[in-house]
Amino acid sequence: MLRNKVLPALLVLLASAVAAPGAAAPAHDLYLCASINGSARVIGFKDSGLNGVYRREAGGDFTQFGINQAMMLALAFDPRDPRMFYVAALNGLLRTPDGGKTWRVVTDWDVTEPKSVVVDPHQPDTVYVGVPDGVIVSHDRGLTWTRMERGLPDRGKYTQVVQVDRTHAGRVFAGCETGIYLTEDGAKSWRRVFPTAVTIEDIQQSPHDPLRWLAVTEGDGALGSRDGGRTWTKLASVPSDHALYNVAFDARDPQRLAITSWTDGLFVSEDGGRTWQTRNTGLPDSHHVWRTAIDPDTGRLYASLVEQALYVSDNFGRTWRIGGLPASRVTAFAFVPKAAN
Amino acid sequence: MKIFLTALLFLLAATAALRAQPSFSATTVPSREIVTDAAARRAAYLKRVQEVIDYRANLVNRADPAGIDLAAVATMLARHEDPKFCSEQVIRLMKAPGTGPFWMFPVVCVTYMGRDQLSSEAKQAMRDMWRTTYQIRGDTENHWAMYYISLYLISEMYPNEPASSWYTGKSSAENLAEAKEYLIHWMDLATTVGQGEYNPVHYIGEYACPLMYLASWAKDPAMKTRGHMMLEWIFSDLAEGTLNGVPVGSHSRTTDEALIEPANSLAAYFSWLLFGNVPPPAGFGGWGVYFAPAAPNYEVPEVLYRIAMDRDHDYLQKDLKRTRRRWRYSDVLFAPIYKTTYVRHDYAVGSYQGGVSDPIQSHVWDVTWAVPNPRGQHNLMFSMHPESSPHTMQMYFADYPDTTAGGAVNLSKPSYDSPDKLVGSSPYEQVFQDLDTIVALYDIPPGTKFPHINGFFSKDLTKLTEDKSGWIFAQGGNAYLAYRPLAPYVWTQSHWAQAAIRDSRLQSDSLKNGTIVQAASTGEFKNFEAFKAAINALPLEFSLEPVPTVKMRTLRGKNIVVAYGAAPLVDGRVLDYTKWKLFEGPYLNAEKGSRKLTLTYGKLQRVLDFNTVKITDSVIP
Repeated sequence: MLRNKVLPALLVLLASAVAAPGAAAPAHDLYLCASINGSARVIGFKDSGLNGVYRREAGGDFTQFGINQAMMLALAFDPRDPRMFYVAALNGLLRTPDGGKTWRVVTDWDVTEPKSVVVDPHQPDTVYVGVPDGVIVSHDRGLTWTRMERGLPDRGKYTQVVQVDRTHAGRVFAGCETGIYLTEDGAKSWRRVFPTAVTIEDIQQSPHDPLRWLAVTEGDGALGSRDGGRTWTKLASVPSDHALYNVAFDARDPQRLAITSWTDGLFVSEDGGRTWQTRNTGLPDSHHVWRTAIDPDTGRLYASLVEQALYVSDNFGRTWRIGGLPASRVTAFAFVPKAAN
Repeated sequence: MKIFLTALLFLLAATAALRAQPSFSATTVPSREIVTDAAARRAAYLKRVQEVIDYRANLVNRADPAGIDLAAVATMLARHEDPKFCSEQVIRLMKAPGTGPFWMFPVVCVTYMGRDQLSSEAKQAMRDMWRTTYQIRGDTENHWAMYYISLYLISEMYPNEPASSWYTGKSSAENLAEAKEYLIHWMDLATTVGQGEYNPVHYIGEYACPLMYLASWAKDPAMKTRGHMMLEWIFSDLAEGTLNGVPVGSHSRTTDEALIEPANSLAAYFSWLLFGNVPPPAGFGGWGVYFAPAAPNYEVPEVLYRIAMDRDHDYLQKDLKRTRRRWRYSDVLFAPIYKTTYVRHDYAVGSYQGGVSDPIQSHVWDVTWAVPNPRGQHNLMFSMHPESSPHTMQMYFADYPDTTAGGAVNLSKPSYDSPDKLVGSSPYEQVFQDLDTIVALYDIPPGTKFPHINGFFSKDLTKLTEDKSGWIFAQGGNAYLAYRPLAPYVWTQSHWAQAAIRDSRLQSDSLKNGTIVQAASTGEFKNFEAFKAAINALPLEFSLEPVPTVKMRTLRGKNIVVAYGAAPLVDGRVLDYTKWKLFEGPYLNAEKGSRKLTLTYGKLQRVLDFNTVKITDSVIP
């Protein structure tokens, strides 16, 4: 029964990810997490900004809904029913079963400041969450949680990102302060597949080739894998002297990639990652780019400039315009297949 | 991190400070005579409490309701004053609710103070707020204490209500259980391996106010007693770690202003309120006001009062604390803090062993001298390395390298990323203390952002003398002070505390560096020259290569060898920190892991036992 619901949704997701250019109607809804006027916030006082989860409306504007909470860092949707989604927030993991009408903090006091959340598309009752002291897993849609850290070090398991392999149930990567860890048995055991001395900030799987992965670090550059994440090599063409915060693939064009940096702005590649260029012309001078995403329907490139705005480019960063969300910092993007709604 | 202090309340308090705050504005100082009559002590305490309540309630300008906050309402309710007006203000305030622990506990205060006074509409407005407004928990020990005590008390007040009626999406019972479990966990941790935010000069109010509420209003008798005991645990630390009411030595969380003017701190406010041995700060420290409405529920025990008051007998107190939680880049979750405090009539010397206790707002060591009137006095001396490091910040904050330091600067820790700051700790500082001698050694790696150390020399020092021997001599109050920089230095200033512009900052740019400080009472020497001669006569050898090393005899006759990276030697014996107890001294004693603190003064004894959740008073035969 479960499989019957999951597989069609997956097929839709995959099909939409490689949709032909020029498709008429967007196949995805765009959700994101954002905080507004972050530097002006004073704890205890009314938050003047509308923070939290935003949804892109038909006209292109973004509308906030649900809890007004500034520190939401990641979100993940149940592929069977995207009204059920999870948000990693300061107090713990939030879950809404009804598209944001009602919420519950589904973790207890012993889980704080989760950084990343993913749902296994093959086992959508299973949710993985990266937390500052490891990884927690739920097998019942967030009702109960277990620390599943065998193979992670006792110290050194600060987990900034978890990412699931869409092609294998229970195959998940954890980006920690000491490297990239991989489980192939649903977190029953982990092994380190690449050591680092700094935190892994993001890990992403290519929508075109499931064996291809990219990761970025906060001081050791970008990493790539072409064997499903079993081995990783450093991308020599990406600077490694400053933190890189996230990486995005273009679902329409396998040659197009993007990486964000506070210091250097936005890096893009149009040759599958062999060479990289900054694309900051038209962005504010500070070009502190926190998050990027590439619309799987249109190829539109998004860049969140910290406390500036969300910028958009329809020519892969050659020119930019403001796309909304003034004074924001976007912390996560999620493109959700409309067919699954 | 993105968690921010509300300096605004302090600003509000300070601007109003001169209005109807007689204990602050008086030119006289409180008597430090010990009041032996219990009834008189109690009356004096209640009088001080009433002064706070009256001060805040009298600031209310009914023509300008926008200026009326929850502190005003709470103090008006404490006076049973105009419940209708209070109800109107509550309804107004709930239309623009805050988020987070600094908002939650004031709402709890008003809720409980107004139980029998506020209108049903006002009560409902507050109750609705707990459903409609998501409250963030924060990321520090004090945030969580405020958050979970508030959640506990408000869930207990509204039992048996469904998940849909709370911002957490959890039922009253679930909220209560979560809050209770955390609070017991926190108390367990603090009473076995030490408090993380120990001796918080600034944040003591963020513990004391909610704990006072828990002790006052919890229905569960065990939680009520736990609140009382934890409150008193923190007050015991305060009583021990103060000289005539002002904080001394090392502490986990302070501010630029409170550090250099110790009497202008929330810790001094609580000394004033509880013991009456120091003037209160302006505006009663802002947050301090929130303690007052529930304060009549607290009885200051005589043993605690006497520990705080008696400075006629020298004492050495050694305590075990812990660092803030280390999320990453460290082999341990909490590192131990070995804290030494030596208190005499004329001065106190306090320290911990160095390293990073908390990357922001911590203070490692100082000599604080007694002054008749501490108002405006910068009565301390110390040195420090002004570390500013995203890597260090990331150990303690689940944040990013490019935003963590800037976040601290933006969010009420403005001096964090400044080379002339005076607040903070460093991984490159190691400190040794024996009674009233301090040796602080620094080994700063090349490439460190601020490659120098800062020494603080107060405007209130007299007889400042740069001796040809290399010592800098001075007098503070009735204390003679000798400060020995181990590397060349220049004189400059710090601009972070507004009042510090009249002080001097010694800056020494050597990466391998050190400071020796010795102190003595003026009464121990014929005159200043005799003190200088005594210091100069002591054997002293030091070198900076390969690591800073000091070999010397102290003024108290101890032969010490201190080398950066090695355990100190005292009269040939290695200082063994592993034997450190949770508390050890004439007044406070607790074994590590014991959950039991014994307060002793003379024949008076009081035991706070978290194993049995009992407080026991006795008189030693």
